[in-house]
Amino acid sequence: MAKYIAKRTVAAVVTLLALITIVFFLVRLMPGEPFTNPKLTPEIKANMIAYYGFDKPLPVQYVEYLKNLLHGDFGFSMKYTNRTVNDIIGETFPFSADLGIRALCMAVSIGLVLGIVAARNRGNGIDFFCVIVAILGTSIPDFIMGAILQYFFGIKWGLLPVALYKGIEYTILPATALAFYTIASVSRLMRASMLEVVQQDYIKTAKSKGLSDFRVTVKHQIRNAIMPVITLMGPMVASVLTGTFVVESIFAVPGMGKYYVDSVNNNDYSMILGMTVFYGAFLILCNLIVDILYGVVDPRIRIGKK
Amino acid sequence: MKAKKFLALALAAALALSVAGCSVPGQTTPAASTPAASTPASSTPAASTPAASGEKVFRYAVSSEATSLDQQKTNSVGDNELVRSMQELLVRVVDGQIEPAGAESWEISPDGLTYTFHLRENKWSDGQPVVAGDYVYALQRLMDPATASPYSFIGEYIVNAREIEVGEKDPSELGATAPDDSTLVLQLVNPTAYFLSLLGSASQFTPCRKDYVEQYGETFAADGEKNVYSGPYKLVSSANQVYIFEPNEYFWNAEKVGFDRVEVNVIADSNTQVAMYNNGELDYLNVPTEQVPAYDDVDEAYMNGSEDWVYINAKSDNKVLGNSNFRLALNYALNRVTYNQLANNNVYEPWGNEVMPMVSGVKGFYGDEYTPNGYPLEGDAAKAQEYLQAAMSELGIASPSDITIQFTTSDNAGWKKIAEVIQEQWQTTLGIKVEIRQVTYSEIYSNVYPTHDFEVGYGGWSPDYPDPYTYLELFISDNVYNYSNYANAEFDELMKSTRTETDAQKRMDTLAKAEQILLDDGAVVPLQLRNQHYLLDDDIGGVNFYFSGFNIDWAYGYYK
Repeated sequence: MAKYIAKRTVAAVVTLLALITIVFFLVRLMPGEPFTNPKLTPEIKANMIAYYGFDKPLPVQYVEYLKNLLHGDFGFSMKYTNRTVNDIIGETFPFSADLGIRALCMAVSIGLVLGIVAARNRGNGIDFFCVIVAILGTSIPDFIMGAILQYFFGIKWGLLPVALYKGIEYTILPATALAFYTIASVSRLMRASMLEVVQQDYIKTAKSKGLSDFRVTVKHQIRNAIMPVITLMGPMVASVLTGTFVVESIFAVPGMGKYYVDSVNNNDYSMILGMTVFYGAFLILCNLIVDILYGVVDPRIRIGKK
Repeated sequence: MKAKKFLALALAAALALSVAGCSVPGQTTPAASTPAASTPASSTPAASTPAASGEKVFRYAVSSEATSLDQQKTNSVGDNELVRSMQELLVRVVDGQIEPAGAESWEISPDGLTYTFHLRENKWSDGQPVVAGDYVYALQRLMDPATASPYSFIGEYIVNAREIEVGEKDPSELGATAPDDSTLVLQLVNPTAYFLSLLGSASQFTPCRKDYVEQYGETFAADGEKNVYSGPYKLVSSANQVYIFEPNEYFWNAEKVGFDRVEVNVIADSNTQVAMYNNGELDYLNVPTEQVPAYDDVDEAYMNGSEDWVYINAKSDNKVLGNSNFRLALNYALNRVTYNQLANNNVYEPWGNEVMPMVSGVKGFYGDEYTPNGYPLEGDAAKAQEYLQAAMSELGIASPSDITIQFTTSDNAGWKKIAEVIQEQWQTTLGIKVEIRQVTYSEIYSNVYPTHDFEVGYGGWSPDYPDPYTYLELFISDNVYNYSNYANAEFDELMKSTRTETDAQKRMDTLAKAEQILLDDGAVVPLQLRNQHYLLDDDIGGVNFYFSGFNIDWAYGYYK
């Protein structure tokens, strides 16, 4: 197991380095410049280019960037001139992660239950209900869902705050809006996987051994059927926890999503790079954890890798 | 059974966490010990209104975060508005009038080149006195290339500022001196009629403390405690996309400061801003353009100074654009009233002149004193045809359909629609072809307009000072902002003479004459003046609006 983890970690670091290199050179190919104020004169622009060290050759900048990165330093933002990218990530990530964890817990728990219940009641009314939930979840975009929740719960009924993120009651609407799509995908995946597993020989064996229906479902069916959901979890955790532009924007959550999207619009090189590297590292970490989790959940993988 | 128990427990815990959960980040981080969290943590939005807590809190939203609250590096109207509330300007523009502020009185030399300010006794928010040296340091810092201020051009009026900016002279040679702690002397390159207006609105001229800059270096002013304040309010926190201001008790006019706290939330989604205002969670709202009709009877509006037009690249490879008759045809073919309905929901003012009417004239408004002959707002198709025929015979073009012009616009919201409305009108009225070219917003002002890589294109200007010069200088042949590549020796000469003219009446007459030249030449296609509609709670007073440098000014706002 240790060797397996070590191997995966080395692969992760190489992937990250490749990511940094590609993004570093790609952002410079974007049309436009980071300094876009219509009133900027060429002389002032030259001062700013020198301030950020852009007057040096690109390979030199690249080496310097890597050196700073070794110290965990992403540099100063070009749009928010006196703030470092580290500072901005440090301030916004906790909000995105908090919202993401809430949404994910809601989505996975409800999604799994819906999927399992639907599979157990295949073809009848309950299954139909679960299908409807899933269709709504995948087909209603989150900006509509967010606006609907905000309108009814926030404005019309006045039950919950319309926006901002200052206490628990503020988290419910954005987390629900964010969870909605994930509930749908988790439940559909779980349902399909349950139905596939139920036809396996070992389920028949378990049943013929006289195990109770409950034990067969829980111990054999669910445990095997959950694997694809865990696979999905890695990228899902990474993307949900690092912020979502639309939901954060509708509910004015001070998270990372807005900065990530805006950094591209603003050509804010250091911010794009910092955010991408952070997101990439986080995604790679999540995948690594999923790989390790496979081993815990499914003994066959552990044996296979030895 | 173990697996089942684990799963059931995990699911139950997960669901519980997602709904009930522990506290959110803002409540646990150190930033939470700022007033935002230490206010009575009421659970319903209704209970947190100022009335309930007895605190006089003014709350509003801005759609984007300040790029910098470093007074010398502010780079937008939004930045400027916030800094004006926490740093003391030498004078303040209030309702268009210049009022004493950091300076109690001042003298201007007869040649208009030397300004001597007598500072009043004022203190920084740490109790230290504000001295003239703090203003000198601020101005030197503004021009110093090492500061790399994106707005340093605003200081170029001062002697040697330009040379310092390009690295030819040392910041210490700037024409700003402090003979003693309460006297500030500024030497100008030209008698600049609007210099006081500029000082009264631009935060870049506010004082700065050297010890704070040296202590925090590049992160100076990155958060509330990383700067010190000389104005009515001090910034307590800028964390988590909320700016929290509290009165600066050392401010010279502290008893006139009306709010106990001001909360400025960064809320990107304008519909969310509307919802929060309707829910009583904000006291002031900028009504989004598309929602203006819904608030027809209750809202108020002011002109925010933005004027939009179509730039015409007079030296383009497309020869028709160098022909003034053709440019006039473009101007007369446009029905600006219909355009405004289609492109802007009728929210803006259609406009057929170049200079905004509310800028200062000799005594009152320029628009009241001068009425240059602009383009008819509803257009004039017959005249447009005349100009087109004249242009075609001069250029030897047989049919209007042989003329194709390219219209550059950006991916900004609404810009495409504007281009399409104009395209349709020009094509129908003139019979020419108009192609639309879309580039990203970050390209348009960095690679496209400054390099004159376009034929005609949508753009505009927001003034930094209320004087016709700010609009007209954009067409001086060697001006850096002359995206139009417009060159007219007579116009250049008139504009040059206004820089040294000390007689206000003569100067303004000349500017009006210069504007008429632009209009007669069809140098640009003016489109509209932007209105900003807003809602402000009735119990709030002392908030004023302006069009140059800043839009909202709540520094002396209060609850009635």
